[in-house]
Amino acid sequence: MERAGKKKSKITKPILWIVLIIVAVIQIFPLIWLLDFSLASSNEMFTSGLLIIPKKIQWGNYVKAFVDGNFLLYLKNSILINGLAVVLVILVSIMAAFACHRMRWKLSGTVKMLLLMGLMIPIHATLLPNYKIYSMLGLTDTMWALLIPYVAFSLPQALFLMTSFMSAIPVELEEAAVMDGCGIYRIIFQIITPMLKPSIATVAIMTFLNNWNEFMMASTYLSSPTWKTLPFSILEFTGEYSSNYAVQFAVMALTAAPAVIVYIILNKHITKGVAMGAVKG
Amino acid sequence: MKKLYSNKLVILSLVLPGLVLFLFAILAPICLSVYYGFTDYSGMGSYNMIGLENYKTLLQDPTLRIALRNSLYLALGFIFIQHPLALITAAVLDKLGGRGENFFRCVYFIPNVISVAVIAYLWKFIYNPDFGLLNNIIKAFGGKGDINWFSTDTAIWAVLIVLIWHGFGWGMLIYYTGIKNIDPVLYEAAAIDGANQTTTFLKITLPLMKPVIQVNVTMAVISALKQMETVYLLTNGGPGNSTQFTANYLYQQAFKAFKYGYGNAIGVIFIIICLLATVILNKIFEDREETKLKKLEKARAKGAAV
Repeated sequence: MERAGKKKSKITKPILWIVLIIVAVIQIFPLIWLLDFSLASSNEMFTSGLLIIPKKIQWGNYVKAFVDGNFLLYLKNSILINGLAVVLVILVSIMAAFACHRMRWKLSGTVKMLLLMGLMIPIHATLLPNYKIYSMLGLTDTMWALLIPYVAFSLPQALFLMTSFMSAIPVELEEAAVMDGCGIYRIIFQIITPMLKPSIATVAIMTFLNNWNEFMMASTYLSSPTWKTLPFSILEFTGEYSSNYAVQFAVMALTAAPAVIVYIILNKHITKGVAMGAVKG
Repeated sequence: MKKLYSNKLVILSLVLPGLVLFLFAILAPICLSVYYGFTDYSGMGSYNMIGLENYKTLLQDPTLRIALRNSLYLALGFIFIQHPLALITAAVLDKLGGRGENFFRCVYFIPNVISVAVIAYLWKFIYNPDFGLLNNIIKAFGGKGDINWFSTDTAIWAVLIVLIWHGFGWGMLIYYTGIKNIDPVLYEAAAIDGANQTTTFLKITLPLMKPVIQVNVTMAVISALKQMETVYLLTNGGPGNSTQFTANYLYQQAFKAFKYGYGNAIGVIFIIICLLATVILNKIFEDREETKLKKLEKARAKGAAV
């Protein structure tokens, strides 16, 4: 019996590998193609081969992309805005989750429902009215025009995750803290928050992933480069270098790089976080 | 304790930031959309209240129908192409074990961390008729390889392929997590009974994955409705309106055609459609779960009676 089982797995293993490799090639080959073309010169692209072996590796494409794509400025903006959004989402969601889940008041259920409603509202339907609101308040072209909607639309899922984790924390802990004369704020930030670490990580990853690549709101609410985020490196570039394909490939590879590198380094944590967020959300 | 936990002022201070964000970034814009939906506002200058005129036009608008049809195509593509492939890949991956498993899991998810902007422009090049990857692949297999992928007839399929490709890793990961949560004892039992891998997949993995599949299907339909960014960059709804999606259409109407009022009316309808879709899908799946539970209970009651 056991021997038969082993024999079977010996035959099936290669089939498993073949299936998985085919899927991997489909998922990753376009990116390899991108990388390959970004190192060639534009003239070399018109071949019928799948990949090019560049005569001379054109690092110059990347230099152009780096300088003319405003790469550093946009990267800094992306990191700053997304970082702030993550911190705010975590803070606001923990506070709201505690109030709705632990504190005793009549409207707790209603308020929680209201805050979760955001999950069902399509972001892009708010583009038109929000543009109006932000221009009336003079918020267009400021960081707030991105920060406010990023936090607001990440909040419902964060709140959902926080409440489901909070319900697993025993109330006795808080009771002891109250006996010792702890106030609510200290209970939240010194006792509850440290225990929510896994869900905080999940919320941080989901918020970052959702907003890092966002550009629809950015391109609607921003017009000057001051606060533009990373996707703009590409959007602006394609107009400017419309005939220089190689440089366009380089700017695409460069823009994708930070997220891919961070993902490869942290891939275990990120997959765990995404899986947790998706299953609970 | 009780006093401390029902202090109104403290509660208010805790929920206020969240509520203000909700009011300011979600509720206020929706109300404003409803208001502008009743006007003929162009985006500049003065405007008139025109009642339900926008909504009447909307009912006759062929582009909205195309947009909704495209969402339906996309949802079907997700459900019948992307998800089965993702589920099977997840099941195969689960069997691999060791370093290979982690490696493939990591690789499959990489397209998901890349910006839609990069993905859209990359695929524009892949579809490029002169040096695009796709035509070159067709040439390598002996075909002619001079297909214009963004012609009126094929453009929607070109868009669907990109979206199905881009979201694959996400779906795979969720199915993979679901499969990992299945009790391995069940597989051992199946192996002892001499079940082969296909039967194990069909009789154990698939039924136990039902809740995960249901969640995934709901999310697929909703994201098919909400699709905008990829289409906006890839084709911007063209050629003609053949690849139009609702969100892209309302954006175009407001900012390109200068029918801000009409765009907002589309927005209102768009929100209603998304809400309805969410509620209906949840109802369908909930009801099934409930009837199943009832059946189980009945069976148990019968068993107890016997």
